[in-house]
Amino acid sequence: MNPVLQVDGVTVRFAGLLALSDVSFSLAPGFIQAVIGPNGAGKSTLFGVISGYVKPESGRVTFANQDLTGWPPTAIARAGMRRTFQNGGIFRELTVLENVLTGIPQAWDFRIAATALRLPGIRRREAAAIGHARETLDRLGIADIADRVAGELPAGQQRLVEIARTIAARTQILLLDEPAVGLTLGELDRLGAVLRQLAAEGVSVLLVEHVIDFVMALGERILVLNHGEIIASGTPDEIRSHDAVLEAYLGRK
Amino acid sequence: MFLQLVTSGISQGSIYALVALGMTVLFRATAIVNFGHGELFMLGALFAYIFVQVVGLGFVPAAVASICVMFLVGLAIERLLIRPMGDASHMSTAMMTVAFSFLFKGLARYRYGGDVLSMPPVFSYPPIEVGGVVVTVQDVIIAGVTLGLVAVFLTTFRFSRFGRIAQAASQAPRGAVLVGINLPALHGAMWGISAALGAVAGILTAPISLIYPDMGGGVLMRAFAAMTLGGFGNFGGAVLGGLLVGIMEQLAGGYISSSLIDIFAYIVIVVVLLVFPSGLFGSKATVRV
Amino acid sequence: MSDLEPIAPRYVVRPRRRASPIWLVVAALAALLMLPIFVNSYTQYIVNTILLYSLVGLGFNIVLGYLGQLAFANAAFFGVGAYVSTLAAARLGIPFWISLLPCGVFGGMVGLLVALPALRLERYYLAIVTLTMGELLRWAYIHTDAITGGSSGVAVPDPIVFGHALTTDAQKYYVCLAVTVSLYWITRNLLRSRLGRALNAVRQNELAAASLGLSPVRVKMIAFAWSGFIVAIAGALFSIVLGRITPDSFDLTQLLLHFAIVMIGGLGSLAGSLIGAVLLTAAPELLRNVAGVQEIAFAMLLILVLLLMPQGLSGLLTRYVPALRDRFFGEEP
Repeated sequence: MNPVLQVDGVTVRFAGLLALSDVSFSLAPGFIQAVIGPNGAGKSTLFGVISGYVKPESGRVTFANQDLTGWPPTAIARAGMRRTFQNGGIFRELTVLENVLTGIPQAWDFRIAATALRLPGIRRREAAAIGHARETLDRLGIADIADRVAGELPAGQQRLVEIARTIAARTQILLLDEPAVGLTLGELDRLGAVLRQLAAEGVSVLLVEHVIDFVMALGERILVLNHGEIIASGTPDEIRSHDAVLEAYLGRK
Repeated sequence: MFLQLVTSGISQGSIYALVALGMTVLFRATAIVNFGHGELFMLGALFAYIFVQVVGLGFVPAAVASICVMFLVGLAIERLLIRPMGDASHMSTAMMTVAFSFLFKGLARYRYGGDVLSMPPVFSYPPIEVGGVVVTVQDVIIAGVTLGLVAVFLTTFRFSRFGRIAQAASQAPRGAVLVGINLPALHGAMWGISAALGAVAGILTAPISLIYPDMGGGVLMRAFAAMTLGGFGNFGGAVLGGLLVGIMEQLAGGYISSSLIDIFAYIVIVVVLLVFPSGLFGSKATVRV
Repeated sequence: MSDLEPIAPRYVVRPRRRASPIWLVVAALAALLMLPIFVNSYTQYIVNTILLYSLVGLGFNIVLGYLGQLAFANAAFFGVGAYVSTLAAARLGIPFWISLLPCGVFGGMVGLLVALPALRLERYYLAIVTLTMGELLRWAYIHTDAITGGSSGVAVPDPIVFGHALTTDAQKYYVCLAVTVSLYWITRNLLRSRLGRALNAVRQNELAAASLGLSPVRVKMIAFAWSGFIVAIAGALFSIVLGRITPDSFDLTQLLLHFAIVMIGGLGSLAGSLIGAVLLTAAPELLRNVAGVQEIAFAMLLILVLLLMPQGLSGLLTRYVPALRDRFFGEEP
């Protein structure tokens, strides 16, 4: 099966510091793949490269057979990728519903004249978008906060809002950067179920996470990064007992 | 003619340099751009006038008095108008500086109406002639005072304890607080110094040009041009920028057209910001999306 | 110091939206249409001025409030609209109602021009360069006397609408009313759509907006063009309401007035633009007659609002009248 995302030999250097070193892996359609590693291992940098915010010194990122290394983030997003941000990227002054609505068009055609005059076509489009947004919120179990202003919500719910915004467009690839932070057990279960559902629909998910239980339960394949290099790659069971991984997390005995 | 124009340019430019320096001091310390600095310039001149005409002081004592008063005005602005705004956005703070600029202009206009005031000439020495160039005493005083002030200022800032504290506070405000630096008091002092510098420029201009409530507007734009040319936030750049703007203004006016003098500063701003935004010495002013 | 000015605070919006009772709308409409019967000429003139300045605030708010850019080009847009409309009528004989839309388009183009530096420059640099552009335009008005009448300006011929020359303030009122209501309606529609959301997104978090496939460059250009369009049309209205335009009407002081209208009314709020205009319309009128007292009063008002009501007056009002809050999505299915 053709991988939907292929990363080859990506190296990133920041002011002399090697953030990523010759990282390569592939992601198949409908798979959930997790990236774990100690702090500073380069996980967020990896996301940055894949989604276009960081330019690699060398290497290639291929998405659906298209080389998008060096593309700007907007172009990559339009090609069918969405991501969340480690420090939270919601729009604090918009309501939850409005936040999710910003995620809905894959391509942003404003159709200004039609919108200005409130033509029926636009009204239908907007109503459909609102319906879809509410469905997405419902899926994540947060339909009841749809009209709250996002910035006033507790961190965990803000995270769910960001995830809702990210999955609303039904893009082929989702990059989730620490989605589980601040979530309650119930919310974690919900999230896991939704991600599995999306995977079943053919969406590929790349997940950076620290909450190990979540990762182990969800990830079909796990990549372990340390000091910018992939030190292990395999199923949760394989990783659990991998020497290099234990050493990276627990230190040498 | 070239040298004559350059000489007047240096004289005018020194004023711009002082104004730009005052604004840069404030900007470096508090990240605030003071859209009302032109009115502080005007008030400095006005107070000097009042001390001379109404109180009857000599020029130098009046100047000193005016500078002291303006330092206090700066402190008052910080304490009463800026500090209460707390963590407000740049837009709000900019608006506040606009507000007090209107206030001072209004007060001046209220008291003196449409009158244009003039200071009696300070020194009555005849102008000197150096190699075909006429240099007035005022020119010499302005350039001299500016040079002296800038030198004093730069050395104090770099080498004195106060200067180091100010630098620390502007680079890392939270760290400064942790180390025990009294940030509000420091900001107050910076406003005071900035206002005082503006006042000096106004006082130096007063005997030559006339004093009127709107005199601050043109100087403000020139100061912006100077800061932009020299690189925002750079002291040396502001001074050099001011001198350059003054000189170039005079040259353009003399050789091309006198109507250019009014907008030359604007042209400088547009050209610099669009072509090399960091100015001569500044740091990057652009954002990349 | 925080980077963004929070726009008027918004609390829980109850999803149930009851349409305003029809009689209220009819009454308001009737009152507006019959206004000229009850007011004298001077008051009518003030009302006209309020209407056009509310457009000024509306246009400025798009760039300042919703997009969040410190771009001070408003006086430039205003002036362009006024001069194009007036010169078209005075020199080329083009009737007002025909030149109105092209005026707006011209303003939009100037807006695009202003958007270019806005894409590259930060905050204060942008403020300064846009101020400068305005001043350069003003210099051009002064020094192209042959066309523009120079510093003494140009008299505005009576506006011609559908073949009739409008001579009274009441007649001009209906034009101002129609234009203002239309532009407010259009702007409201644009805000309650993808575009409105895009504007907010780009202001609050450009990186996140990019991750959604939203091009900040495109959004900024649209916002500036739209702002220019509205304010230029306001400028055209200004010219016919006043009867004479001079370069002084578009200087730094006037721009700061526009800024104040937005800040006092409330940044990023439709209602705010209207409120700011109502409150401050007296100011442009009176300031022109150079009186220190008015400047002082204006300054005190500004200071009070900035210290006590940082969200502007609309922030205060939306607390009590939820209907005034801005919304960024259309109707429910």
